[in-house]
Amino acid sequence: MKCSKVQKKLSAYQDGELKPGERDKVTMHLQDCQVCCKQYAELDRVWQTLGELQEIHPDPWFYRQVVRKIKEPREQGLLPALHHVFWLFRAPVAVSIILIIGLVAGSYLGSLLARCDLFPFQNNPLSDSRGTFFTSMRVFDPAPPGTPAEGYFRMVSYKENDSR
Amino acid sequence: MARIAEGDESAFEILVNRHQTSVLNLIYRIIGDRTRAKDLVQEVFLRVWQSARSYEPKAKFTTWIYRITANLCLNELKSAHRRRWFSFHHSNEDSENTIEETLSDGAPSAEDLLLAKERSRQIANALQSLPENQRMALILKRYDDLSYQEIARVISCSVSAVESLLVRAKRSLQEKLKNYEK
Repeated sequence: MKCSKVQKKLSAYQDGELKPGERDKVTMHLQDCQVCCKQYAELDRVWQTLGELQEIHPDPWFYRQVVRKIKEPREQGLLPALHHVFWLFRAPVAVSIILIIGLVAGSYLGSLLARCDLFPFQNNPLSDSRGTFFTSMRVFDPAPPGTPAEGYFRMVSYKENDSR
Repeated sequence: MARIAEGDESAFEILVNRHQTSVLNLIYRIIGDRTRAKDLVQEVFLRVWQSARSYEPKAKFTTWIYRITANLCLNELKSAHRRRWFSFHHSNEDSENTIEETLSDGAPSAEDLLLAKERSRQIANALQSLPENQRMALILKRYDDLSYQEIARVISCSVSAVESLLVRAKRSLQEKLKNYEK
């Protein structure tokens, strides 16, 4: 058996997982080969070292704790599930909330400033009222009579009424 | 298990007493946190109680309970990773209950205690630095003496995968514990 083949099998040899024939071949090789023998000794040293990790012991009242846990009512219903979903998506939810608050506050402020004529461009005689119109969010108000928008809305509502 | 399935608490107590130490240590060695290990071991036995009716003795009972344990540990490691990711306060000070802090119990003198603590710290660090699957396979082999077949059942992979996990884990440990002196 070649050294490279033996070295691949050293771990399984150490764990006693080789078939009897293979195990005997590795044993024979280790008796003759210093290099592989040294490698196996190192593997064994590490294995022994791991044994120094001490055990911990459960509390004497462990069984009582388990029984208490078994008997306590489990969280049921929709609330824990919702909590879990919220926890997963908390970052997008937080960003959405901040955006909504920003939009509402922005539109309110814009409308307030426009009403009080506090926008700097409002004092400029060259600027028309469209700037104020858009920044104040009055675009969402009902269309003023006589404008193309009002004509469009009338047309749409006429079609809807007609189809009924 | 049949008696437990019928609600026999005395049978459950015998089972808990028989397996609590091995399950606790398995969790502790995998996740490296004593406090969390003590919480999780309760969860393992809670699941054993709840699943007793559906239990089918296809394999050894220890393989079944270790499988429950391994799944819980993997979930714990994932959520611990998430907690670390989102925590702004994460630092090395969090190691209050980690494996190396608790391993010096019972050392006879202060010098021995320090030495044992240092050795344990090195071993624990080396173990914790392994990838989850390698660590789990190695712990199940070294401390619970499970066969490759049983380890494969516990961590849901093939026997050859277990073999290669163990080869890699041992190689890494050899490298990490190179300077370890007895």
